[in-house]
Amino acid sequence: MTTSHEGPRLRQQSQDDPRVMLDIDAGAFEPVPPYPPRTEREAEFYTLGDGEMFLNMGPQHPSTHGVLRIVLKLNGEQVVDLDPVLGYLHRGVEKISENSDYHHIVNQLDPLEYVSALFNEWAYVMAGEKLLDLQVPRRAEYIRVLSSELLRISSHCLFMGWFALDLGGLTPVLWSFIERDEIVEMLGALTGARMLFNYFRFGGVNGDLNHEFMSRLGSWMSRAASHVEANTGLLNENEIFVRRSRGLGVVDRETALRMCMTGPNLRATGVPFDVRRAHPYSVYPELDFDIPTRSEGDSLARYLLRVDEIRQSLRIIDQCLHQMPDGPVMAKIPRKITPRPGRAYAAVESPRGQYAIYMMSDGTDQPFRLRIHDPSFLHLQSVGLLMPGNLVADTMAVMASLDPVMGGVDK
Amino acid sequence: MDRALRRRLEARFGDRLTGPVRQRHDETEIRVGPGDVPDTLRTLHDDPSFRFEFLSDLCGVDTGLVMQVVYHLWSETTTDWLRVIADGLSRDDPRVPSITSLWKGAEWMEREAYDMFGITFEGNRDLRRIYMPPDYTSFPLRKDFFLADDAARSPGAGVRHQEQTHTPRNAPPGRAIRVAKEA
Repeated sequence: MTTSHEGPRLRQQSQDDPRVMLDIDAGAFEPVPPYPPRTEREAEFYTLGDGEMFLNMGPQHPSTHGVLRIVLKLNGEQVVDLDPVLGYLHRGVEKISENSDYHHIVNQLDPLEYVSALFNEWAYVMAGEKLLDLQVPRRAEYIRVLSSELLRISSHCLFMGWFALDLGGLTPVLWSFIERDEIVEMLGALTGARMLFNYFRFGGVNGDLNHEFMSRLGSWMSRAASHVEANTGLLNENEIFVRRSRGLGVVDRETALRMCMTGPNLRATGVPFDVRRAHPYSVYPELDFDIPTRSEGDSLARYLLRVDEIRQSLRIIDQCLHQMPDGPVMAKIPRKITPRPGRAYAAVESPRGQYAIYMMSDGTDQPFRLRIHDPSFLHLQSVGLLMPGNLVADTMAVMASLDPVMGGVDK
Repeated sequence: MDRALRRRLEARFGDRLTGPVRQRHDETEIRVGPGDVPDTLRTLHDDPSFRFEFLSDLCGVDTGLVMQVVYHLWSETTTDWLRVIADGLSRDDPRVPSITSLWKGAEWMEREAYDMFGITFEGNRDLRRIYMPPDYTSFPLRKDFFLADDAARSPGAGVRHQEQTHTPRNAPPGRAIRVAKEA
């Protein structure tokens, strides 16, 4: 291993002082790090065997679903091992939260997992409500379920599109954005923002259902089921897609449990673990829906499982609209929130798996510790386990089938 | 609140627990010494009466006095989340055995706790920084982390950071670091 690069140099203007020209290393993203290995595993990975080479994928690679760098160790076109390099999107939200008012943190959590931001908020307000012993009005709970299930559908639609795109199909992503866009506009009418909602509050939600949201939702629901079937027909009956994704990135039940996988990726291996049923929260016990599972554990199973989940979410939304109670949407809470000292843990089932918040209070108006647990983080970790033996072109397909969002991984 | 779980835990781990079993809402909390962590978690995982198969979360905590590692577990045998706290790690050299032999997926979560708190997980094969750059020397989520000081020696020197409201150890005298309060 070398400690300095003899590669090409680049002259660049300094960010701090424009008069200074810096002579920097042009290969800033050399696959081999310019320092001695720090751990046993790193030493093992960065030692090349016979006929092996490194390939750097990212951090600006278009199909890494965010800013992620993966160092691939290749033998010909076959992946031997890989080492994901994280932190390009790290914003230190846990640290910022320790210096923020409880109300402000909802806003900080939104951009973490930006595809399904309501679930981040939900886990956080649930943890806070446990610390405060708050009873949330039933109407607020139903609105939370309704808006979150809409967002789950939108997130899964996006997944279907991106997954097909990573396998080389351009059409499905355009089709899935039709649903995604309609849902996002609908939630925009409800919450005031299309993606970073800032909608859930301790003790309820920020605003009641309004006319524009309900009329949009009503007209969308009348055609949603048939649209979903039409969209999935594009892929389910596509022989290239099915043959390409079947048997790709197989993970079995024991491995999935050992790797702490959750959500659709775990259920695709046959474990019926869904936080909505395994550890019920909100009004889910009152709602009738199934937890679809599959036993194959490959990319196709993960895709088909998400399609099944869309159908279940439509069922839930339908029930919410029929059972929606009247009443207030916010509990009475003080303007300044100072929970008693204590610890709380709350988890919700996000489209990617179990999203959890662990909160410690020390009696002030700022949390003492806020831990954000994101399922994408663990799913990205298991890519290293699924990839060896596959081809380079399948790396992104397997990764897309696990559906990580780098905003959530890097926090 | 699962009272039966509390009795079962007290019967099984009685002398190993370093504090009373606490329960609130849907959470049950036990505390053990750092050395007892692998044994305790393996028992919880393997014992047919517990069957805590899911590691829901692993994170580090700096209480200002000691370091802790907090594990959250889920089992179909109870309606509670089980929180296992490895209590009393020294702040100067926090060490705890790794549980990657039990849950391989804990590897990155332990890396994160190492990155943020400097907690050494003995037995983790890949304990290197995960978010922060490799030449970074501080542990940002520790309560004695002084942002202004850190910014001055970090590669991004000169960048304006969010104002720090809780002053750390090397701040002007008279102000202490933030210390956790237990209920």
